[in-house]
Amino acid sequence: MAEKAPPGEGGEPGEAGEPGEAGEPGEAGEAGEAGERPEGPMAKGVVAVARTFVTQVAGQLVVVLGLASAVFFSLRLLPGDPAALVLGELAGPDERAALRAKLFLDRPLYVQYALFLKRLVTLDLGESLRRPGTTVLSRLGGALGPTAQLAFLAVLFGALAGTALAVLAAGPWLGKKKILVERLLDAAAATPLLAFAPLVTFVLAAKLRVLPLPGDPDAGVSGLLFASTLLAIPLGAHVGRITRAALRDHERAQFLTVARAKGASFVRVWVLHALPASVGPIATVIGTQLGALLGGAVVLERLFERQGLGSLILESYSARDLPVLEATIVLTGTLFVLAQSFAQAVHGAVDPRVRR
Amino acid sequence: MKMARRAPSLPRGAALVPLAVLVLAAAAARLLGSSAPAALVPENAYDAPSLAHLFGCGEGGVDMLALLSSATLSALALAGGVALFGFAIGTPLGALAAMRRGYVEALVGRTCDALQAFPSFLLALTVLSAVRHPSRLHLACVFALTGWAPFARLALSEARVLRSAGFVEAARALGLGERKILFRHIVPNLLGTVAVQLGASASAVVLSEASLSFVGFGAADGVSLGSALDQGVSAMLRAPHVLVFAALAVFATSTSLLAAGRGIKP
Repeated sequence: MAEKAPPGEGGEPGEAGEPGEAGEPGEAGEAGEAGERPEGPMAKGVVAVARTFVTQVAGQLVVVLGLASAVFFSLRLLPGDPAALVLGELAGPDERAALRAKLFLDRPLYVQYALFLKRLVTLDLGESLRRPGTTVLSRLGGALGPTAQLAFLAVLFGALAGTALAVLAAGPWLGKKKILVERLLDAAAATPLLAFAPLVTFVLAAKLRVLPLPGDPDAGVSGLLFASTLLAIPLGAHVGRITRAALRDHERAQFLTVARAKGASFVRVWVLHALPASVGPIATVIGTQLGALLGGAVVLERLFERQGLGSLILESYSARDLPVLEATIVLTGTLFVLAQSFAQAVHGAVDPRVRR
Repeated sequence: MKMARRAPSLPRGAALVPLAVLVLAAAAARLLGSSAPAALVPENAYDAPSLAHLFGCGEGGVDMLALLSSATLSALALAGGVALFGFAIGTPLGALAAMRRGYVEALVGRTCDALQAFPSFLLALTVLSAVRHPSRLHLACVFALTGWAPFARLALSEARVLRSAGFVEAARALGLGERKILFRHIVPNLLGTVAVQLGASASAVVLSEASLSFVGFGAADGVSLGSALDQGVSAMLRAPHVLVFAALAVFATSTSLLAAGRGIKP
């Protein structure tokens, strides 16, 4: 896996060498939230996003291939018979032989590997071992939606809250109290989700009864909102700290002084002028925090007994349902890589300095 | 990261105090306490804190103080070991990459970036899925697999500056071999800066281990902060003290390591 990742650099020019059109007015991107922009640059921006995205994905596919190979080989090369791992030590030789045939374990390793990759590419992932009759694909489909909702809302809340707090801490509105916002962000960034999520759940759900208890099947929207808010807190803290640092870099920049001299309000100066220039660090920090977000999502799905990719991984791991486990890990890794490429592409689309 | 940390006007060693207090308290509780961390006394199950059991009892009547103190100590040992291993491997590797420049430098840099951003949870699962009953050693190996990356990344970017420093050129002009330059001149100058990462890495290992055992992948003996937290969650209504103490232990362990790391000044 480690050796496979670097070739990604060939297809990862998003940071430096992307041959996008320079000189277009990219100042106000989506962070500017200025709806009335001329048609031309918008279309160009979309093309640039698409191009960066595609080159990124090409490079990142190598990472996914590396992960898939790691999953494959760790189950087959490490000592121990996978069939025994699945069936337990008590299973008879006939049962084991049948399972080995079903999982292609009786073929040479390179044939197994080729078959494994072929099934991944053609999405012919076979059946779940533990639930005969359900395809792996249908189980993945059922788990994908809830996790995607959770992660999407968490990124949305985290990015909004983090940038809002950073702007508050940068702007003149709070006076001396600004420092409190920074302290809050520091404290939130240092507090592990694993420690505060169960405590907050205990206080809000068990003591105050304002939220549904974990595992409540009727939790519905409020359960989703609660879980994604919890997940958004560490992300928002990181976004807030990085944004605050980026805004501090721009604090004395000439373009802000000019905007102020032209009579723009503080809100306009900070939100429309300073913030778009800081979109790069924001997108980057979200990209680097996605891995942690995923780990957090698994913890929260377990805590709230929610359906999702995390709980599917846990379930298939403890049941030793190898086809489901392998497919879920590869899918999760792929989604992670896609989301990260998307973050970098957004960065490239919004900040023309990156595209050059 | 970039934020200028307003250095508190505390003495240098003050940052280590929370960690030292935690270790001493856990060790004392472990040595003075009577019950073994996994001893089950079913009639005490989920007892509230009392004089006999200061932190109360958990699932099956385990003494929470004994469980949490030994879980904290083993989490600290695991985290410290993994962080030191990453430090020992990553620093020379990053420095070497910076000295070699070109392809090697790019390769190490990209690998570090990929490993740091990639969800460690998935990697851990991938490796752990091959063993039936993971032990603490398995966990340590899994964390060590990626734990060197942040150290190598830091060492690489620091060594990029150092490699063109005057004293390195002087050493080269005097005819020193690359290896001697690396180990006598570059690496010693990196140690202080790279050591700052130790606390953050160790804290991350504590949290990864606790998360893994919280969701059921932890060491098979069940003595872990995460499995204590899991007990607390499932007994949230009956015995909230289990949850509260377990969450506090996770918080204290990870933040004291973070604080200790900040105390290391280059």
